Amino acid sequence: MQEWDDREIIEGSKIQGKEEIAFNQLVFKYQERLYWHVRKIVIDHDDADDVLQNSMIKIWRSLSSFRSESGLYTWLYRIATNEALSFLKQKKKKAFAPWIDLEGQMSESLEADPWFNGDEIQLKLQQAILKLPEKQRIVFNMKYFDQVKYEEMSEILGTSVGALKASYHHAVKKIESILRKD
Amino acid sequence: MKKNHNKPDLQQEVLKNHPFGVPEGYFESFSERLQQRIREEESSSVPVRRIGKSTRWVAMAAAVLAAALITTSIIRFTSSPGSEGLYPDIALLEQMQVLDDDRYLYELLGEEEEVQLDEEEAFASQAIEYLAINDVEMDLIYE
Repeated sequence: MQEWDDREIIEGSKIQGKEEIAFNQLVFKYQERLYWHVRKIVIDHDDADDVLQNSMIKIWRSLSSFRSESGLYTWLYRIATNEALSFLKQKKKKAFAPWIDLEGQMSESLEADPWFNGDEIQLKLQQAILKLPEKQRIVFNMKYFDQVKYEEMSEILGTSVGALKASYHHAVKKIESILRKD
Repeated sequence: MKKNHNKPDLQQEVLKNHPFGVPEGYFESFSERLQQRIREEESSSVPVRRIGKSTRWVAMAAAVLAAALITTSIIRFTSSPGSEGLYPDIALLEQMQVLDDDRYLYELLGEEEEVQLDEEEAFASQAIEYLAINDVEMDLIYE
């Protein structure tokens, strides 16, 4: 299958009879990147799978009306990020206990997760990341693991570049301090 | 400045690789599973049917009749002697109100705590953001 570029995907999605091919191209091109982004937020593989499917369905329903003012990549990341954050919110609600330490549970479940391949220091790093506030956690993951540029991140998260830089540096300092204590 | 070698080094390349895995063939089968789910959702969604003009009039007449019947029944029921015992206990209602208030208070406290934390962080962020915008090195800011 020849890979389409973003422009071809967007144009294809607006042509009757080509929408499905355009969408398949989009899924093929972005599924992995979006999966890893979501996985780092929700941690569990099954949860990440649910969130990715929900995001893709939203994308499928609104792709034909997508206006290319922002890049396709930015738009997809924004949908996936929102979907992941709402998923966590719903999970807390479903537990009928808003005070529940979901991040603490996620941190504990990492140790028994069959799809966690890291060593001890990687586990400690992930557990330290889970102690950060939600948004700081996303900024840290995007910068540290995915090397997303601040300008792109600013479009995805709707936050100023300065605030993102500050947020990332706060996160680094907190993680270093947590790791030092352990 | 002397470098602290005891500090955990986030610059280690090995740490920059995320440590997660997926079941074998997950990405290869994802598209097919997604298509399947979309097909299922589309086939289970009930098409919206337009209501015809005559049906609309019948529905409106039925609604008015139902409202009239309910109102009459309530008036008869409340004015009949000996119906007082059927009202819920005032003390019970008050207790329920207190429970509701407690829940509200809990929500409010939860929110307030969150706001307080955010404010502290926001103040620090604003200062750092200002310095970051003015290209002051982050390491200098944190000195």
